[in-house]
Amino acid sequence: MGSVRIEHLSKVFNGNTALEDVNLEIREGEFFALLGPSGCGKTTTMRCIAGFETPTSGNIFIGDRLVNDVPANQRNCGMVFQSYALFPHLTVFENVAYGLNIRRFYQGGLGTKLATIAHMLNRRLGKVDRVTEQKVRDALDFVELGQLADRLPSELSGGQQQRVALARALVMEPAVLLMDEPLSNLDKKLRNVMRVTIRRIQQKVGITTIFVTHDQEEAMSMADRVAVMQKGRLVQVDTPTALYSNPVSTFVADFVGSSNILKGAAKEVNESGETVIQLAGNQQLRSAFPAKQKDVEVMIRPESIRLFAGEAPANESNILDGTIELSTYLGPTIRYDVKVGELRFEVDTVFEAGSPILPSGTPVKLQIDPNRVVVL
Amino acid sequence: MKKRPSFQFNGLTLLKWLIYLFFLVFLLVPLFSILLVSFTGEPVNIFGSLTSSKVFSSTLNKLSNMSLDAYASVVKEGGSYFDALVNSLKLATGVAVLVTLVVLPIAYAFARTTMPFKPFFAALCTIPLVMPTFISSHAFVLMFGKTGWVTHLYQSLGGEGVLFDVQSMLGIVLVQVFFFFPYALWPMVAAFKISDVTLEEASQNLGAKSWYTFCRVTLPLAMPGIVSSMLLIFTVSFSDFGTPIILAPKDLNLIVVEAYREIAGFFNWAGSAVLTVVMLLVAAFFFWLQRLVIKGKEYGTISGKPTKQKLNSHKGVVSALTVYTFLVMLVPTLAMGSIFLSSIATTWGHHALPDGYTLEHYKTIFSSSGKNIWNSMVLAAGTLVLSVIIATFVSYFVVRRGSAGLDYVSSIPLIVPGIALGIALIQTFNTAPLHLTGTALLLIVAYTIRRMPYMIRSTMSSMMAIRKDIEEAAVSLGASSLLAAITVIGPLLFPGIAAGAILVFVTVIKETSISILLAPSDWAPMSLAVFQNLLRGEYYTACAMAILIIVIVIVLQALAKKLTKDQLY
Repeated sequence: MGSVRIEHLSKVFNGNTALEDVNLEIREGEFFALLGPSGCGKTTTMRCIAGFETPTSGNIFIGDRLVNDVPANQRNCGMVFQSYALFPHLTVFENVAYGLNIRRFYQGGLGTKLATIAHMLNRRLGKVDRVTEQKVRDALDFVELGQLADRLPSELSGGQQQRVALARALVMEPAVLLMDEPLSNLDKKLRNVMRVTIRRIQQKVGITTIFVTHDQEEAMSMADRVAVMQKGRLVQVDTPTALYSNPVSTFVADFVGSSNILKGAAKEVNESGETVIQLAGNQQLRSAFPAKQKDVEVMIRPESIRLFAGEAPANESNILDGTIELSTYLGPTIRYDVKVGELRFEVDTVFEAGSPILPSGTPVKLQIDPNRVVVL
Repeated sequence: MKKRPSFQFNGLTLLKWLIYLFFLVFLLVPLFSILLVSFTGEPVNIFGSLTSSKVFSSTLNKLSNMSLDAYASVVKEGGSYFDALVNSLKLATGVAVLVTLVVLPIAYAFARTTMPFKPFFAALCTIPLVMPTFISSHAFVLMFGKTGWVTHLYQSLGGEGVLFDVQSMLGIVLVQVFFFFPYALWPMVAAFKISDVTLEEASQNLGAKSWYTFCRVTLPLAMPGIVSSMLLIFTVSFSDFGTPIILAPKDLNLIVVEAYREIAGFFNWAGSAVLTVVMLLVAAFFFWLQRLVIKGKEYGTISGKPTKQKLNSHKGVVSALTVYTFLVMLVPTLAMGSIFLSSIATTWGHHALPDGYTLEHYKTIFSSSGKNIWNSMVLAAGTLVLSVIIATFVSYFVVRRGSAGLDYVSSIPLIVPGIALGIALIQTFNTAPLHLTGTALLLIVAYTIRRMPYMIRSTMSSMMAIRKDIEEAAVSLGASSLLAAITVIGPLLFPGIAAGAILVFVTVIKETSISILLAPSDWAPMSLAVFQNLLRGEYYTACAMAILIIVIVIVLQALAKKLTKDQLY
């Protein structure tokens, strides 16, 4: 029931195209990230799924059900908002109970309806039923907030508010959980904690989760699969590792992690099946990837380049001579900016205690595995 | 293939059209109707024309006789309407200019000096606002009339006759000046606070003396604010009914009084319609002018950063301003005191002080006018309910759904003087099929419409403070838009709405023009009772009832203030 399928989704706002022919299939139980810079259409995609935006064209299925004409309140999508959107006048308990009360209102007879509304407007009028009470308690215990049930949202920290928002969405047992930039309002340390918390909760519940983020680190570390979006279009949908090691375009390569991107020309395919690429300044590189046309760009991650102060090991291909221009100490790694003829490479090496940081001007040799030279 | 936009007919859409219908039936059609009457010279039954073909043909017949005859009296010099219009314009201009001159030093003292007792003076400033103008006018009679206590003092000091004739243009001007000045004071204080202090420092740095800096830099910078409040006072004075109805002598024609007499005394539809249209045009023109000035002001103050201003602490200036401020505030305070003293006096007028004291008048109003008190409460409560419902949903549609149309329609009452609205409503609902004139319902509707723009503004500002995602959160948890509005938006808005609602209650209790025009005798509210008692010469009971009104108003306003301060979140 929890899969989501999007077919040819387009959205135009007053003549501006926000989404263009987006096709996506999100599997049941999957933790799926929509990644991209601001204005790329990721939030619009999510809001179309939630039902807050009406697509200009295209179909959206939740499970097997076409939801195009289903209003937002009947889509069974749990949503965690960027600002959490907790109801400021309700306690933590009442926030989590809200959806269950609404459900009870719709399902009950006139008497239940009146009693529920009265209770929702004034907590002193009536009580929630035992089933609701138990469900809310369980949900709060699940996010470890049981003891804060009677607080108002304004009395909670950012991380606690986030967990209330999560409990409020999960207690409804939705088919899909949607999270809009869930970590952007937290400080860096708390963000790392919540990243783990959210991932753990998602795995425990096994709920299909779609979350929107502009932070590639967040997307890569949390999601099973990531969809990268650019200017209203899907660019690449892949697992984080595939996305990182085999991006389809310079945009994706640049967006997920730092990279060296070089222009070149595919010259020939050599005897071992590798593409030989001619770079500027008469340098050559071999790549294990085939070239589709003559003019190509190659992408090499800084950490896939090996750097040697002395001689490079023999019988290895792709060895370049260079000089260090700048060394930057980054804690666990050292970033070297290396000049190779007219070319410049960024190289990351692991910092080991005791070993020196090479100064600027040091002549070095670079070696790159052809499997890591990605032809875009 | 393009999908046809489907017309969603849910509860909220229905509500929106109901609100439009309300404004159409009770505001737009009456105003249009009065415009037609001003040309035909005979009552026009618009709703009847829609339901009965006979009425329709007679309406067509009337419309074919449209002419500008009735307007002749307005434009012709010497015509009584012409006089009324000129006198009203003179009065409003005089009051606007005088108020500005009187308030200018006080505003400066509040904004730019170390004047002591600022909170005390600010509290005194609310006195004019809690007194309905016809009660203030009577207070002036008690003070400056032939047997007034000020007159007694004046005579005992050797003066002859009276200080000035209260029942005159001058009396009206003075009452309005002393009771309308708070409307101008606070905008002017803001104007003085906002002007860029660095410009003043620059002026002084260039060697200018303080007074020169004030005249050439400070004052010009505050000018848009000053002009705007001047125009506001003009409109308030022009549409004020309470003061002239008590103080205007027989030979002084004022447009509001003239319009009232035409409709209430002679049932002269043509005349009252023409006067209503003229009133509306003048009020609308000055309202538009004021908007224009404010627009320029916003543009002009972009450079004026709210920097910390140095307050003028020159001893001579401060003490002179303090004494002056106190003297101005003293007048309304004494006026209120006079009303109170009169309400507990056995008789008053032979000497400066009453001959004796009694609580008899209060007993009288509770025994014989209990019905009026009850009426006021019912009418105010009815208005409150209707206003809250309409204002809440209008704000919702304007803020959340971007409904500019409703915003526009609901601000029209700002330019309609009370008397004009009253006449338009009486004319439109005078006959079947919607025969509502003389019912409590029409009175409630009239109060509601009159207060609507203010009520909407206060709910709208609290609505804007509620983020849209709160509503979306409720929807994503299964609530329909309507249910989300009831269970989430409603409770969050409550403090703002409650404060606005109390102020609606207050205006209804104070309201004069509409009550006098529209209230049937068995629904006479307190203000009408005071008015009738004054006309009948039962001054002491009128004063006792007036004090009751003032007390209710003060208590409720304090409550509203507390509610807005106690916002929980």
